[in-house]
Amino acid sequence: MASHRVRIASPLRSYTAGAAAVSAEGGNAAALLADLDRRYPGIRFRMIDEQDRIRPHIRLYADREELRSLTDAVPEGAVLHLICALSGG
Amino acid sequence: MALGPEAVARYSRHLLLAEVGAAGQERLAASRVLVIGVGGLGSPAALYLAAAGVGTLGLVDDDRVELSNLQRQILFETADVGTAKPLAAKRRLDALNPGIEVVAHAVELCAANAESLVAAYDVVLDGSDRVGTRYLVNDACVRTGRPLVSASIHRFEGQAITVLPGRGPCYRCLFPAVPVDGGESCAEAGVLGVLPGVLGAIQATEALKLLLGVGEALVGRLLTYDALALEFHAFPVERRPECAICGERPTITALRDEPRSCEAGEGVSSLQPAELARRIASAAPPRIIDVREPHEFSAGHLAGAHSVPLAALERGLAALDAGEALVFVCRSGLRSARAAAEARRRGHAVVANLEGGLLAWRATVDPTLIVSG
Repeated sequence: MASHRVRIASPLRSYTAGAAAVSAEGGNAAALLADLDRRYPGIRFRMIDEQDRIRPHIRLYADREELRSLTDAVPEGAVLHLICALSGG
Repeated sequence: MALGPEAVARYSRHLLLAEVGAAGQERLAASRVLVIGVGGLGSPAALYLAAAGVGTLGLVDDDRVELSNLQRQILFETADVGTAKPLAAKRRLDALNPGIEVVAHAVELCAANAESLVAAYDVVLDGSDRVGTRYLVNDACVRTGRPLVSASIHRFEGQAITVLPGRGPCYRCLFPAVPVDGGESCAEAGVLGVLPGVLGAIQATEALKLLLGVGEALVGRLLTYDALALEFHAFPVERRPECAICGERPTITALRDEPRSCEAGEGVSSLQPAELARRIASAAPPRIIDVREPHEFSAGHLAGAHSVPLAALERGLAALDAGEALVFVCRSGLRSARAAAEARRRGHAVVANLEGGLLAWRATVDPTLIVSG
């Protein structure tokens, strides 16, 4: 299965022991986030709500392509970027 | 308005640039920029805009300078501690460039004043530290058609986007709603002092480009900066036809104040530490919900408190009896206020927030409590 590099937004790094980039496997957003959650329990729920919708302060990109639903494919070799609204000033 | 000899000398490096020149410098002198939030982002942005000769700089902030600001808010010096930020900033900027006008708006931006403030300027920079203010500024700019350069920071990471109303996505297109926890402020999460320097300078750059009409504005792109990896990325962002403020059928028809994180939401009572102590000792103590991260909870917490980190809030609330009295706590009372408001929205009847959080508890009830962070 394709392994992807995943870049973690700063507010989510408490789940990855501070790591800014990790690896996860999967061919679409759903599979990748499920694998990510197995490795870093709880991280998926910060991004995806109970109706499997991407939360409104989160954006997911495969390289520069926005993923709008969990069924969107993540091409082999693409980097998954987890973007989270920041509020500090 | 021709440039005088002093201005020719002061702006000589601008005058050498064909993209600025005398005409561009005169345009900057006739321009008005509003900086909302005179903090980590607003400091470098205002310094560069003043130095660049932007004719009128408005500064909006209702805070006073604190010692903990000086690690990154480079407008201020130690002697400014205790002074209203816009007033201290005005002194510094007047000294830097006496040829411009600096207007200090020492007020809190709110629904009642946002549109009139924004409408009086050509470009708006948002460097506020409250997520609710970000939406208010965005909405005011969309409604008045003012260009907005928005930036935000967290620990070692920053973001920026420029909004040209009607010509690209707005901040609500980017992130349609406030996160349940309101996001962490610099006071809660910490921030590398130099980080806002990078993002604030980018905001000033965007403002100057917009005023001069040069280059490609950061419209329809979200710029992210990771200081630890030293990586910049730009992600495409599209307008959302369903956007509540700039979409085809806007549902926001008047500005509204988002509930401030530090205020109790509707139906949420605000408890002082002494009152919470009294209730804990009563015959019917409330259930205490600590919404901090697990590592903060394990460092020290109130006796009998239940750990429900914000990430697990929905599940945690679903497991509780809707009639049970709940008191939400966190480090400073910000995150717990959001959680308490969410509990009310989900039907919990008796909900309170510990005002000032565990820091206030430690200060007034139990100095031995270890409060992480």
